[in-house]
Amino acid sequence: MTTTKFNSTDHNIIELHDVSIVRDSNQIISGASCCIPRNALTFIVGENGTGKTSMISSILGLLTVSSGTIIYNSSTDQNLIIGYVPQRFEFPEQFQLTVTEYLKYSAHISGKNIVPTLKRVDFPESHLKRRVTELSGGQMQKLLLAAELSRNPDILFLDEPLSNVDHSSEKHIIDVIMEIKNQGVTIVLISHDWQLVSSCADCVICLNKNFGCSSGTNCACKNSLSEANVELIQKTGPDPLIAHEGFCYVQNL
Amino acid sequence: MDIELYQIISLPFMQRAFISCIALSIVLGILGTFIVPRKMAFMADGISHGSLVGVSVGILLGIFPLMLAIIAAIVMGTLVAALRSNRRITQDGLIGILLTGGMSSAIIIFSLVPGYKPEIFSYLFGSVLSTTWIEVYILLGFSIITLVLAKYLWRALILTTIHDQLGRVMNLPTTFANYFLFVFTAIALVTGVKLLGIILVSAMLIVPVLSSSLLSNSLKSSVIVTITIGLISSIIGLFVSFVADLPSGPCIALTLIGFFIASFVVSILLPNRKNY
Repeated sequence: MTTTKFNSTDHNIIELHDVSIVRDSNQIISGASCCIPRNALTFIVGENGTGKTSMISSILGLLTVSSGTIIYNSSTDQNLIIGYVPQRFEFPEQFQLTVTEYLKYSAHISGKNIVPTLKRVDFPESHLKRRVTELSGGQMQKLLLAAELSRNPDILFLDEPLSNVDHSSEKHIIDVIMEIKNQGVTIVLISHDWQLVSSCADCVICLNKNFGCSSGTNCACKNSLSEANVELIQKTGPDPLIAHEGFCYVQNL
Repeated sequence: MDIELYQIISLPFMQRAFISCIALSIVLGILGTFIVPRKMAFMADGISHGSLVGVSVGILLGIFPLMLAIIAAIVMGTLVAALRSNRRITQDGLIGILLTGGMSSAIIIFSLVPGYKPEIFSYLFGSVLSTTWIEVYILLGFSIITLVLAKYLWRALILTTIHDQLGRVMNLPTTFANYFLFVFTAIALVTGVKLLGIILVSAMLIVPVLSSSLLSNSLKSSVIVTITIGLISSIIGLFVSFVADLPSGPCIALTLIGFFIASFVVSILLPNRKNY
């Protein structure tokens, strides 16, 4: 029926094998397996409380998995460079950090490299000396993206990048993300926006605690992506043939 | 009082006080830049009050009170750093416990001290006469170590102030930076107790940062302005304390507040001020 996606380290940049995550004595994710394909745009979707942020946190090393393995497949001899743009980023009001200073201290960018870095995400040059606390949601997202991109990440995690952005800036951000992906960066996005998922995703990892999609018809992912050309729904777990609580992996072809 | 300025500066106890103030202004200015935006200003109060237990034990046993106070401050700073990510214990709650526990213990211990001990008053409110050369050298040594570590951890301190997790993803020494910030702030506050007093030393940490936030538009200028305000306020406060024969702590604290009011007025009158 299905093939798991663990057969090629060249294909997958990150693999999760039987990962369980416990947080505050609650089992968030149980025995989950999936992979993130290289150079693709992967969405992690699911309802609130299904463990999306916990999964990303464990991949980023911020949260220890209680069991299982996370494998990082670098294409070079160096460790993977991981970029991360968190969902909530509230700069303290009394911390007088300018855009220039943020780039200098977060990404070691200074001098003549600042403008080209910001141009990459269409950030206005006129805002260089502005304090970060004075930026709009969209401008903040672009600044954070610019800083992370300047580190030349192998993989970039974006946690709900459109949640603090007004409608007019959303398309801008999406265009920037697609441009980044076309430049060869692997991107992983957490999003609740099914329309965005349908239009942009190469792959979808769906976390859904209550599905029973052994028949493939009762799955939130497939139903929501029904307009897309979804070729395949996989359950990835210890035994792919058995319906597995909490996880499915969808390839959007 | 009929005395010239140069005569004031030539007095050994005033020299000790001035040197201490210069060192404290720099150290508390740098540390305060990261502590106050994290809404940890209450920590300053908690630790300075809580460290009184070290002072009281030192006075009771006749051992170097400042050293015991520093040890108490290190313990409290370490606890605050270690428990900051614990969801069941809020930080202000923990600090409240340290404050009340330390103060209560200190008052009980003070009641056991036989006779009248005027140095208790100077620890509470500060005194220009109180600092010894040994304490100045300790403060200077501590200040140098603080500056060196702050420079090494500068990037980590910034990232942990704005988003701790991002700093960890970047493999910055965020844990070390947080422990450094809390423990060294605790030590710096205690070393300032002799001059400003336990009750008011937190003003030296908090008020210059708040004043600077009204005037500055960048981190660099914020640090410079914070240190400058702390420095000028403490020097003016010391002079007033000497000339008017008043406790040094309240004199410095009120001068700081005067600068804050002036900064507030400037920020209203010049809302579109340039960077400086």
